[in-house]
Formats: sequence, C-alpha cells, structure tokens
Amino acid sequence: MTAKTRIPDPIELDRAEEARLRASAGLAPPTATPEYAGFDTVAIPDRPPVTDREKEVYTLDEGEMLFNMGPQHPSTHGVMRLVVKVRGEIVVDIDPVLGYLHRGIEKLCENATYTTVMTYVDPMDYMSAMHNEHAPAIAFEKLMGITPPPRAEYIRALVMELNRAFSHGLMMGFLALDLGGLTPILYSFINRDEVVDLLSSISGQRMLFNFLRVGGVNWDVSDEFISRLSTWRAKTGHTVGLSEKLMTENEIFIRRTKGMGVLSGEQAVSLGVSGPNLRASGVPFDVRKAHPYSIYPELEFEVITHEAGDVYARYLQRVAELKQSLHLIDQIVDRMPHGPVQAQVPGIIRPKPGRAYAAVESPRGLYSVYAISDGGPNPYRFRMRDPSFISLQAMPVLMPGRLIADTMAIMASLDPIMGGVDK
Amino acid sequence: MELSIDGARNAELLARLRDDEELAFTYLADAAAVDYGVDAHFEVVYHLYSTRHPAWLRVRARVDRADPHLPSVTHLWNGAMFHEREMYDMMGIVFNGNRDLRRIYMSPDYRSFPQRKDFLLPDDAADSPAAGVNPLERPETWDLARFAAGEGAQAGREGPA
Repeated sequence: MTAKTRIPDPIELDRAEEARLRASAGLAPPTATPEYAGFDTVAIPDRPPVTDREKEVYTLDEGEMLFNMGPQHPSTHGVMRLVVKVRGEIVVDIDPVLGYLHRGIEKLCENATYTTVMTYVDPMDYMSAMHNEHAPAIAFEKLMGITPPPRAEYIRALVMELNRAFSHGLMMGFLALDLGGLTPILYSFINRDEVVDLLSSISGQRMLFNFLRVGGVNWDVSDEFISRLSTWRAKTGHTVGLSEKLMTENEIFIRRTKGMGVLSGEQAVSLGVSGPNLRASGVPFDVRKAHPYSIYPELEFEVITHEAGDVYARYLQRVAELKQSLHLIDQIVDRMPHGPVQAQVPGIIRPKPGRAYAAVESPRGLYSVYAISDGGPNPYRFRMRDPSFISLQAMPVLMPGRLIADTMAIMASLDPIMGGVDK
Repeated sequence: MELSIDGARNAELLARLRDDEELAFTYLADAAAVDYGVDAHFEVVYHLYSTRHPAWLRVRARVDRADPHLPSVTHLWNGAMFHEREMYDMMGIVFNGNRDLRRIYMSPDYRSFPQRKDFLLPDDAADSPAAGVNPLERPETWDLARFAAGEGAQAGREGPA
C-alpha cells in the first residue's frame, strides 16, 4: 500500500480509457457530449441507450409512454427520479435514476481523520444518524483493537433503539401519507419530535447527532435524561397506538396494501434487500443476531418475521419492531451500569495497517462499513453499504403490472432515504 | 474469514460458495472496490453471509489496474447490479456480462472515476502553486494539468473552456 499519491487527474486520458474499456467489454462507446448539460431531466435522454437494460426501458412499444416521477416529487422521499413506463394506467417498467444528492461521502471520509469521519457519515441516512455513526465507530475500534467501556455500549444501544423507534414511527406516517391519509403523519411527528428532543438533549444536535466517538460516546447521560426518557416511555405506547388505530384495521388502508408489492423471500435475498423489508418476506435475518455487536447478545429479543412479503406485511413489521425497540429501551435502562463513557484514545488516531468490517442493523437494514487503514491519520479506504440503496433495486421487480398510484405505496413501504441512497 | 482470489475466477468461486450445500453463502452483504494506488492493483471485495453456520466470509478478488475487467456476478445475485454500477462509476472497473453497466451517481457524460486514488480533489489544488483559486463548480471542465503546472491561477480566472 503506498502513501496518497497526488497526480493531476488527466481527464482526457480517462475519457480515452473509458472508451477503451467499454470497447474491450463489448459495450457501446460512451457518447461524448461537447457541452455539459447537467443531468438528463427529460424522461427520454437525448443520447442513444448504452446498455441492454437501458434499451429495454427506453424503447417504446405501441401504446406505451414514459414519464418522470421526480426528481422533485414529494413522495420520492428525497431527490430521486423514477422513469416510469406505462401502458394506460398500468406500469410496465421502472428505472430509478439516482445521483441528485450524491456528495461523495466515501471520498470525503478517505480524506478526513478518523475522528471527523463521524461528522461526515451523519447526513448519509438522515433518519438514522446514530446508526450511521455506530458502524464506523465499531470498525475503527476493531482496527485499533480497543473496546468501549460498558456504560458507553449501553448508551449506544439506548440511542440506537430510540433512533429506530422514531424512524419506524415516521415510516408508518409516510406510508399513510403516500396513500392519501394525512392524519397518521401528525401523530408520527409528535412522537418523533419528542425523541429528537431527547436525543438533542444529550448530543446537542437535532438530527445529525455527532454523538458517538471512536472508543465511546461524546457525553454521558444524566439522571434527568433518564427521567425524561421514562416520561416519554410512559406515554409513547399511547401515541403509537393512535397511529396504529388509524391504519392497521382501516379497511381502505388494508385494501390498498394487502397483496400489493409481494416480494418473496428468495427474491429478497437475491436482491440484497435487508432489514424489516427482508424480515417481512419471512427471512429471519437481523444483524443484531447474525453479527452480534455492542450489548445486543445480552438483551432478550426475538427476530420478528412476517410471511406475506407485501406492503401490509412490511407495515406490520415496522409496527412490531417499533414495539420491540421500546422493550429493548426498557431493558437497557434497567441494566445500565455506571462508569466511564470513553476509552483511552490518542488525540490523533493512527490505527495499525489492517482492514475491518462492521455491520449494524439500521432501521432500514444491513448498514455496514469496510475500513482499511494504512497506518496514516485517515482511512485509506472507507466503504459504506447503505441498505436503502440496495433495497431500491426491488422497485423494478415489484412494479410491473401495478397501477401508477401504487408506485408510491410500494416505494414508501420499502422506506428508502435518499441521503443514504446517494451517499 | 478471508479468501484472496484472482479477479477472473470470482464468478465461478462465488457460485460455488453460494450453491454448495455445506457452505451456503446465500446472502451478498456487500461488494466494494479498493484502489491500492497507481503502481498497484484494484481489489473487489465481497462480503458474504451464510445462514447455515452462521458465518461471514470476505472474498478479495484482485484486479489488474491496467486492465480492470472481471466477470459480473449479477446472474448469481440480482442485487449485485447497483454494487457493480457503483464500482464502475466510482472506480472504472468493468464487469463483463453486466446488462446495465451505466453510471449510477455521476451524470452520464462524466468521464472520470472519482474514487481512484489518483483523482485530484479541489482541496489538493490548494497545495499546488495555484493556491487560493476558488474551485469552479464544474469539475469536468477543470484543466488540472494546468493547475499542476503552476498556471492554475490564470486558468481558474478564465473560467471553463
């Protein structure tokens, strides 16, 4: 492994190289446009299709048309564009176009110190910023060969479950919103704002917490926080119940969601779908059990699954996991030990050369970090696997044959967050 | 656990890992590319999970930097598609047999591979004699050779070519 080389990037050479690579792979040559025209925002790009799949999507048969959903569509959960091919009201094919929110966080992290990486990963999946910090923290601790003190691990698990609780609560609200029900989102936001207040009281930030540190957490939690937490805990069951009452037994909701967007377990595994989406298809894969980390081996919980694999099952899965998170919070608070919250870590972290993989169960599924150290002050390679990026591949599988109005229901049930999808 | 293999054998080996009754590494958790520098090689790293044991396995496939080709594994896992598109977009690694090898994050007319180690960041330009130049917002129009040659300040003020 060599030190970072600083050679000017020869863009012209890269162009030639890409042409050569594509030619040797039997692909069509890249179409060079003389002037950079920004992203294609028309449904049919003004350039010939380069791949087989692109030809398939963008070639229209009699009676078919293409249209864009996004990039500013409010239901795409961020800036993303779905090119939808329809015949009448029926969706024939769908092609997600990404990159509108791409910030190159992996590259930024490779040029940041190990401590500052924590601030860069927060805006990835902004609905689960705590989980975003957890995986790099574990990976860097593995590289350095240190373990955080027990109290830090308990505080981490506590904030992870709080974060999961509000993320799943919001998913319930957004799913109803995308189906045209405006009320559940209001209840979801009441619950979510209370959790965000709790988390900001210990981290100082509302959404991008920057709370975890390599070897521990930034601040200890006070007794006042624990008492506020139990106040919230006492009434949150009621708040969740309100949303649930509006949706779970609602006939309109059931008719819109049951039997729709059915993803079989086999398909889900092949697509790399993870988290609640995978478990709603009957596959009992939960990283908290499969790749035990933090204090999860000590806590008592079962992997919840649902068999149907449709939108309704994915909704029920979220509700069940939200309640499970609340039970986990109770267990964690009961067992929380006293002691320090930060291990001894040098000011400038320089782990020994090596590689480490850390996976955590984020509200959207398997979120993992693969970090390589070359002994320098910043990670040589920092790779993040975001669950919503991969889950989005289920869209072209689930959509054909459904109505246009179902696009958003299926999309909301997969619960992708564009900050994570686009990195 | 870790396996190091030659890139050309990845599809064959991963198929065996997935289909073997004893091994049953059925879940592709991650696939990522690593650039070990201009005078070294690329590596495509697969992380697999097997529910049978349960166990995790890392497969590191070595890829020649001058000729970065290796077989696609999209026929084994449909979900490898976005991973491979991302690796192509960010590192310029070509997967033979992938039906949809398009850029995924960068715009279709972008022609560089930003996660390669020899890609120059705007911040690095601050170390060049052209320090203080406000980076333009359109990286694909930057004439970085001129930055490095020391006439960057002038090149920057002229705006895009």
